[in-house]
Amino acid sequence: MAVKIGVMSFAHMHAYAYTAAVCKLPEARLMGIADHDPGRGREMAEKFETRFIPSYQELLKEDIDAVIVTSENCMHKELTIMAAEAGKHVMCEKPISTNVEDAKAMIDACRKNNVQLMTAFPCRYSPAVIKAREAILAGRIGEVLSIKGTNHGKMPGGWFIDKAKSGGGAVIDHTVHVADLMRWILESEPSEVYAEISNAMFHDKYDDCGMLSITFENGVFSTLDTSWTRPKSFPTWGDVTMSILGTEGVIEVDLFAQSFSLYSDKDMAAMWPGWGDNTDYWLVKDFVSAVAEGRPVSITGEDGLAALAVALAAYKSSDAKAPVKV
Amino acid sequence: MQRVAIVGAGGMAGVHGAAYAKMPNVKPVAVVDVIPEAAAKLAGTLGVPSFTNFDEMLKSASPDVVDICTPTPFHKEYAIRAMEARKHVVLEKPMARTLADCRAMIDAANRTGVKFMVAHVVRFFPEFAAIKEQVESGAVGKPAVVRTTRGGGHPGRWFADYDQSGGVILDTIIHDFDWLRTTFGEVDTVFAKGLIDRCLPNLDYALVTLRMKNNVIAHVEGNWAHSTSGFSVKVEVAGDEGLIDFDNKKSVPLVISAPGAGGKETVPQSPLMEDPYYRELKAFIDCVESDTPSPVSGEEGMRAVEIALAAIESIRTGKPVKVGG
Ligand SMILES: NC(=O)c1ccc[n+]([C@@H]2O[C@H](COP(=O)([O-])OP(=O)(O)OC[C@H]3O[C@@H](n4cnc5c(N)ncnc54)[C@H](O)[C@@H]3O)[C@@H](O)[C@H]2O)c1
Repeated sequence: MAVKIGVMSFAHMHAYAYTAAVCKLPEARLMGIADHDPGRGREMAEKFETRFIPSYQELLKEDIDAVIVTSENCMHKELTIMAAEAGKHVMCEKPISTNVEDAKAMIDACRKNNVQLMTAFPCRYSPAVIKAREAILAGRIGEVLSIKGTNHGKMPGGWFIDKAKSGGGAVIDHTVHVADLMRWILESEPSEVYAEISNAMFHDKYDDCGMLSITFENGVFSTLDTSWTRPKSFPTWGDVTMSILGTEGVIEVDLFAQSFSLYSDKDMAAMWPGWGDNTDYWLVKDFVSAVAEGRPVSITGEDGLAALAVALAAYKSSDAKAPVKV
Repeated sequence: MQRVAIVGAGGMAGVHGAAYAKMPNVKPVAVVDVIPEAAAKLAGTLGVPSFTNFDEMLKSASPDVVDICTPTPFHKEYAIRAMEARKHVVLEKPMARTLADCRAMIDAANRTGVKFMVAHVVRFFPEFAAIKEQVESGAVGKPAVVRTTRGGGHPGRWFADYDQSGGVILDTIIHDFDWLRTTFGEVDTVFAKGLIDRCLPNLDYALVTLRMKNNVIAHVEGNWAHSTSGFSVKVEVAGDEGLIDFDNKKSVPLVISAPGAGGKETVPQSPLMEDPYYRELKAFIDCVESDTPSPVSGEEGMRAVEIALAAIESIRTGKPVKVGG
């Protein structure tokens, strides 16, 4: 029996990739799209050859097993709790929410209603990350000492730079992916964060540059550059990299390195089209199979909250001009 | 459920075996090799019986599919014997040493009605599939000049006997010939220079120029000479409105530097959720199960051999060689 899925909002661009994955998976079925922007919702329903459902409540009355929440960050809580109360499993886009209280309320609501909450961290489905983690857990590079991470990007614009909707700028947008990978690889929790944050790229009311120093309970220190410092002309959207130093060796991971260069006079641009695995596809596939098999999801709401806490600590540290406990 | 027997238990057989072991609708049933220890070793990992005699294996293991990974000169005989026993056949590239052998296999497949695939795996590499897609979508306009590079050190062993392997041209850059013809169409003329007849120990190298029927000029470098830092694969597609540039050494998502058997080793890797060999063999198993056309037909396997043999002929005669008459 295919897992029946509804999509709640296309505000976040990852909705495309997740919905495309649902359509591609024989074990899943797309049942409909709801969106508080009906124009966008209708357009997407047409594109994915499914029904546009005028309200979230009506979508939840449909015969569906699970929803994908890809709204603005500030609506994650409302939509997730609504879905949980309707008995639907939830895969929620990162960051799980804009503050700790919302995330906790989402986790509680899902637990109370006996549905699963998965946080969408597709980077965990990069085969390079999976292999790096295996090597580290097998002790190939001895004891891990430090991690130098980056998650660069282009400034996405739209609601991403409207703090009321996003919860912040580059730091909340980009901290959570690599913070999650670090936690997953180290099997240790972040304990302290120091952050330098600025708006030196776009000189506006939102943060566009962030340099975090994250220390873990096991003593590993790390840095993470979360800045939107890739110019509009950059050949790709950005990067996710980690350079992991151990007592016996080093592991370099560059998640999206599987690419080639394309210089097209049609676009008057240089591009690096990727040919590596579609991590969004493997993320959705894993969510769907967890729902189908009734096994726990691989990335929980708690994981989403732990990564969010790092971003929130970074803002606090920047305000306090001092390291803060997570 | 497809019962698969593997013939020739060397390097490629290990790769194929690992791929089959991951497929829910495949059951490996036998391994055959003239060297009993080689057969037993792979059979052991797959948990199946091993054989040194092919006909005995057919009788006692009754496979649905025979996967042939022997050195090239033995491809034809096993393929035809398997087909005559009504087994579907996957055959490693190059299809054969001669066009006559290729033709005999195609005829046998047609006569017996079995599925037949020549394992041209480069089509199943996502980077090559993606470049092909970009070209077809017109990203570089009309293609004009294509350059490819493939190779590293010399593979040694039976590959060093060019009567068996056909050297770097028939064995290795046949991959590029296949991808070029699937992406840019058929070849018209081949001109090549190379070391195949110099008989230098463990050293072969070739530079092949192809003129495609659609006017594209392609340059293919094959390297079994000196490996500076592992296997190298490059593709450049220049068109009248753009350029694609791929270099496997510049697209490495994972490098592990850690203590290994020989001290500290630095190993660049390009892992995928499903490796290209898995995708290739799965495509064949799917075509068997759904009775659809083979992903790489015998005719296509023969076309690639024809280009490679034309390149060798051109080296020997010093003249351009027309392909396909
Ligand atoms: N697709 C690719 O990327 C790729 C790569 C390497 C090789 N190949 C091709 O795969 C084939 C095998 O190459 P390999 O590298 O595995 O070679 P290999 O030397 O590692 O293995 C060949 C095996 O076949 C056995 N063998 C020899 N003669 C036999 C016979 N008459 N009957 C049964 N077994 C016999 C040998 O004992 C050996 O175990 C070749 O055609 C080669 O060109 C393809």
